[in-house]
Amino acid sequence: MPQVRIIAKNFMDMVASLPAMKLDSLYQNAYICEAILRSLPPLAKKYVVQILFFDGPVSGKLLEQWVLDDGVTKHRVAIDRLIQLRIFIEVTDKKRESSYKLNQTFQANLQKHLTNGGVLPRETMAATVKLPSSEDLDTYALEQWECFLLLLISSGQAEKPTSLSSSMMKIFQRGLLSQRDRDAPRLTEGGFQFLLMDTNAQLWYIIREYISNSEERGTDPADLISFLLELSFHVTGEAYNINTLTEIQRNTIKDLAELGLVKLQQGRKESWFIPTKLATNLSVSLTDSSSRKQGYVVVETNFRLYAYSTSKLHCEILRLFSKIEYQLPNLIVGAITKESLYSAFENGITSDQIISFLQQNAHPRVAERLPSVPENVTDQIRLWEADLNRVEITPAHLYDEFPSKDTFEAACDYAREWNGLLWEDSKKMRVVVKAEIHMNMREFLRGQK
Amino acid sequence: MTSVPSKLYSDDVSLVVVLLDTNPFFWTASSSLPFSQFLSHVMAFVNSILLLNQLNQVVVIASGYNTCDYIYDSSSDASQLGPENGKMPSLYSNLLQKLEDFMIKDEKLGKDQSQRAIKSSLLSGSMSMALCYIQRVFRSGPFHPQPRILCLQGSPDGPEQYVAVMNAIFSAQRSMVPIDSCYVGAHNSAFLQQASYITGGVYVKPQHLDGLFQYLTTVFATDLHSRSFIQLPRPAGVDFRASCFCHKTTIDMGYICSVCLSIFCNHHKKCSTCGSVFGQAQSDTSSASDLKRKAPET
Repeated sequence: MPQVRIIAKNFMDMVASLPAMKLDSLYQNAYICEAILRSLPPLAKKYVVQILFFDGPVSGKLLEQWVLDDGVTKHRVAIDRLIQLRIFIEVTDKKRESSYKLNQTFQANLQKHLTNGGVLPRETMAATVKLPSSEDLDTYALEQWECFLLLLISSGQAEKPTSLSSSMMKIFQRGLLSQRDRDAPRLTEGGFQFLLMDTNAQLWYIIREYISNSEERGTDPADLISFLLELSFHVTGEAYNINTLTEIQRNTIKDLAELGLVKLQQGRKESWFIPTKLATNLSVSLTDSSSRKQGYVVVETNFRLYAYSTSKLHCEILRLFSKIEYQLPNLIVGAITKESLYSAFENGITSDQIISFLQQNAHPRVAERLPSVPENVTDQIRLWEADLNRVEITPAHLYDEFPSKDTFEAACDYAREWNGLLWEDSKKMRVVVKAEIHMNMREFLRGQK
Repeated sequence: MTSVPSKLYSDDVSLVVVLLDTNPFFWTASSSLPFSQFLSHVMAFVNSILLLNQLNQVVVIASGYNTCDYIYDSSSDASQLGPENGKMPSLYSNLLQKLEDFMIKDEKLGKDQSQRAIKSSLLSGSMSMALCYIQRVFRSGPFHPQPRILCLQGSPDGPEQYVAVMNAIFSAQRSMVPIDSCYVGAHNSAFLQQASYITGGVYVKPQHLDGLFQYLTTVFATDLHSRSFIQLPRPAGVDFRASCFCHKTTIDMGYICSVCLSIFCNHHKKCSTCGSVFGQAQSDTSSASDLKRKAPET
């Protein structure tokens, strides 16, 4: 079974992989410093704040003394991360002991932030503008986002009520949809897995694709990253004048509006954008991907599934791995069956993804219980998946007719050393080894003669 | 009894309730650390808590010598951000404005009852307010940050508040809210030592008050999750002395009601709390065995 898993959380890895020059210039922007600090593991955050007002380098030994013995691995992870992001600069002195120094721009920006307090990236527009209520804005964001997800599903079913621009669609097609010449686009394995992720993870996945795609469109990824992080520091539901943005940012904002991150509005003279919750949550979700929505699914021990939802999207997602039986105005009723799961497995969805989806979206009434999804159901889902992979195929080579017991045994030991021994029969002196060590084995046997 | 709240936020999101001692008697007498300087350390600390996580929340409660009040709440602050505040960041302008109002109110209340010569600040009141706030957060829904209380105290303990403070401490213990304390006064505070000891918080009495900010960020900015693997100052010794219920003085030895455990500094005929009638007081030589001794733990 091919294991293609989309990892959605490593946006910061992407930032870390930027060239040093770019990274240093990113830190010129105070908001990025703040967002990046927030994305760090707790211990790393603590180190930064603790030595924020130190001028000289701090020795690694001193830092290590701050953690208890069982926190040493956490200490390593924190230090590695800080160095990777060039927040800590390693200095090695004559005695080969490494000490760390904070990146100067980063340090200066954060110091300023601490003493002066946070300031908004840009001023809100005057109160003359009529703002939508926060509920309206939330529904707007949700609608846009669901519309986008539905599009993913339904493009697999070849209907096209496209409201998204084709440029955006192309980005998503790369990872999530595959289109053969004349067929309608189909969801890839990644696409199916994508649908089961929680909203924040999905959002970051899209953003990541969007950014890695930006070079083809002639935009600097660093600019985009800084703009997106900055966006998350705006206040939800306030209007910001679009004229304060650069050309590139204006184009980006249009794309983001299609995803529901911002709402664009046009006045008589000028236009403005209003960030929604999706946008302001961007930097929150960098650290934890735990969804904080209310769940809606109840799974019973008899494999029946009740989803209290009116959303077409939820229905489509559940259809990915269960048989939907009927739909009432506020309730979707289905069953998890062997057939429905097999079709999910064929699409490349794994049992773990299904189970974690059910757990994450458990209805509040059952979410309090442990386990929120009945154990017999989760076990059965795993068993059915295991049923599909009863036989494991490994390419191998068989050796027989060994001249002597000694050569046979030496050959077995050799194969064991390379971790390639699959089966041996010492009576008939036959041995099966993995195909990848066949060449080494042949060399070895030649040498024995 | 409230149930222990379930954690649904990620572990390092915290709600810090800062109890700020604004007692004018203490601050006018304190020469090593003027109040303005103290305040700027605290504000930088509040900023650093808010910086660490977008979901972090800080509430500041001022405890004066006559009253206490909320002077800052970061969760309601966001809506007030705007250009009308001018160039001053909202944290400062809001907090300072409220603090000034509070001080004036505190002073007015003091004038009405000037015959009472109370020099300690109302720690019990602000602690109870903090706990009420935290209970409200617990009940607000399944998603809430991990709360903790930080007492920034300078004025000496008020023995007359003993019962109220202890009650607040025990209710904090029951709802698993650690009370951290940073004492900037001259002598150690027995109340705060006990509070931190009982609730599993940290008690620190900074040696160098110039570096107060560094103490605050190093020790008190640590979220509850990280505390399991970070070295924090351990208590060097806790003063467990109690105050008597009759004259509100701190005592080493005293009489304890065997029914309700009330503490008295001298012999009474009847317990003032539960009404039990005590037997005859014995002569001084034999009464030594009846006296319960509460000594500081080493």
